[in-house]
Amino acid sequence: MSTTTTTRPVAAEQSLATSTKFRTFAIVFGVATAVLYVLCDMGGWPLFTYHPGTDRVEFGWAPAVRDRGPAMYWYGWIATSMLGAAVLGGLATLLPENTAKRIPLALVWLVPVLAVPVLIYSLMFFWTK
Amino acid sequence: MMDFVFDYISVNAFWTILLIVHGLLAVALLGALTHQAMSVLMPVRQAAIASGFVTRFRSVQGAGYATAICVLWVVTFIFGAWIYTKYRIYVRIPLEQQEFWRTQGVFELKEHLVTIGLGLLPIYWYLWKNARNQEYDSARKWLTVYLAAVCWYGFLVGHIVNNVRGFGS
Repeated sequence: MSTTTTTRPVAAEQSLATSTKFRTFAIVFGVATAVLYVLCDMGGWPLFTYHPGTDRVEFGWAPAVRDRGPAMYWYGWIATSMLGAAVLGGLATLLPENTAKRIPLALVWLVPVLAVPVLIYSLMFFWTK
Repeated sequence: MMDFVFDYISVNAFWTILLIVHGLLAVALLGALTHQAMSVLMPVRQAAIASGFVTRFRSVQGAGYATAICVLWVVTFIFGAWIYTKYRIYVRIPLEQQEFWRTQGVFELKEHLVTIGLGLLPIYWYLWKNARNQEYDSARKWLTVYLAAVCWYGFLVGHIVNNVRGFGS
């Protein structure tokens, strides 16, 4: 019985690590998360807004309410970018294997590196204040 | 949901404990990622294993760290995201009042970079689980170095912000 419970996760891990569909999903998910997150940050597109002062959640972008604390968009940006990236990653697994294999693997580190100066620029308010 | 905890410890102590746990998890993550990044940047030849601290530091089997690093990144991220609600009110607002703009800026950048890092974990894990595939060597190397750099940046910035105004200050 103990053999069954210990081998199952290992087998699942091994099948995931050899799956070409998971490879395609993971590449597209990683790249898309970086791109969508930068777009969400610069465009102000949170899936929801959290008001920590009142512990209230509003769908989409919402301004801070006067005398009730700040509004937080970071959680909403994560939700937008991760959900969007998961959808794109899922769609990418439907591509024929030959096409999926042509997605350059270098994008998984190149896009996040390129996102850094863009994010620094998006925070210009803090550097120039 | 966590209100029962406050029967035993103060609210301030609770958030300070969470911050310390977040910091300790970050130390573990930083150590593992630094070992792994060194192992891909300066791989050790079999013959050189016996010599010196630096050589031993970079001679780890990087693949064995991958799953632990993913788990540590996620758990550290969850703790950070939990603490962030209190940071926004009790730390950031005083920082704004004292006009520590650059301190806030570097912290905002940390939040952005660790989120992008979170999205990279599936492909990072996949590349390390296929560590014998030479086709993935370059991507695995630079992705690991990128995540290690983000982790170092996040760790140092977290320290700076805590020094400027930590919980309970």
